[in-house]
Amino acid sequence: MLEVVQPGLETSIQDYPGRIGFWNQGFPPSGPMDSWSFRLANLLVGNEAGTAGLECQYMGPTLKFRRDGVIAVTGADMQPKLDGQPIPMWESVAVKAGQTLALGPAKLGTRAYIAIAGGIDTPEWLGSRSTFHKAGVGGMEGRALKPGQVVPVAAGKGKAGRKVKPEARPAFATDKRWTIEVVPGPNDDWIDKAGHERFLATDWKLSAKSDRTGFRLDGPQWTFTEKATNKAPEHGAEPSNIIDQGYPLGAINLAGQTPIILVNDGPSMGGFICPYTVPSAAFWKLGQSKPGEVYRFKSVSVDEAQELRKRLKALCTPSSIV
Amino acid sequence: MAERVETMVPGNVWKVMVKPGDKVSSGDVLFILEVMKTEVPHTAGADGTVTAVHIAEGQEGVDAGTVAVEIG
Repeated sequence: MLEVVQPGLETSIQDYPGRIGFWNQGFPPSGPMDSWSFRLANLLVGNEAGTAGLECQYMGPTLKFRRDGVIAVTGADMQPKLDGQPIPMWESVAVKAGQTLALGPAKLGTRAYIAIAGGIDTPEWLGSRSTFHKAGVGGMEGRALKPGQVVPVAAGKGKAGRKVKPEARPAFATDKRWTIEVVPGPNDDWIDKAGHERFLATDWKLSAKSDRTGFRLDGPQWTFTEKATNKAPEHGAEPSNIIDQGYPLGAINLAGQTPIILVNDGPSMGGFICPYTVPSAAFWKLGQSKPGEVYRFKSVSVDEAQELRKRLKALCTPSSIV
Repeated sequence: MAERVETMVPGNVWKVMVKPGDKVSSGDVLFILEVMKTEVPHTAGADGTVTAVHIAEGQEGVDAGTVAVEIG
């Protein structure tokens, strides 16, 4: 068990792959935004890769352990300290009952992950412990952690001193620029040639009005094909309006002229077009980027996106731990 | 004792409550940043007088670790 002394900006319980199978009823998967770092944290402490742990956004929490255990911190550099002494990240660390783990503001990256041997043992909701704030389900009382809460942890045996192989770690952008893969579609035929060229040649800036629902991007205006401008009135008034449709996870949803990437807690349907989709293997980069940082999009095929996913899955296995 | 209050998160400057010359007490909210559609208040760590304010309301894309307010 661990006690929340300070919750940080927004720290929540997540598991991987999250709440799968209810998208058609409006429930997103939730789960860690950077599932690469998350899965490695679990593997370090001897858990299954998807076991429930903590996602800490921007500013980490202060936690007090109520029994001995083994933990690992991965993801964004929040300079974790145990009883005031710095501890390494990407490595399993033994903790004693009564000790306090404190994470600070994210220096490099945005989201840090804390895994605990045995895993967090809150009740599952629709098959997952992931917190989905908007509906108030999963996690602890359906919300981010609050001061004074006691988080249940299952029994587990971890080993301290296990490390992630350097080549198996994600490399976070140090120059504030990220290349994000995108697959064209489902509504790419609503954007004209100039619009596609502009999208792929633009430095898009991540807005501070971004959260686990959507990542809002600042950039130039879009231009459209006749499909968008000369359509039946029931589609709606804006060129980017379409008769309500299902959205893929990772859709770059065009709300008027503003692209919003629909991420882990995003909506499953709506009336805007989605000219591109970010594949799951690129989500970790979204999760680790900060407002004001720049995205360049790189068009890939469905086959290439699936290849990236397979490669990432292969990295999130015990073979990456020494 | 002089204090330099740094931004804890990157984001937009939502509100600035102080100007140079203001007397502040430990725990007073100096300014509020906005990130993830959430207000993040920043408070004074000690009593003193504001000697400089380096951020402005509406300023966008401020990095974490930026010196925002100086208290003398």
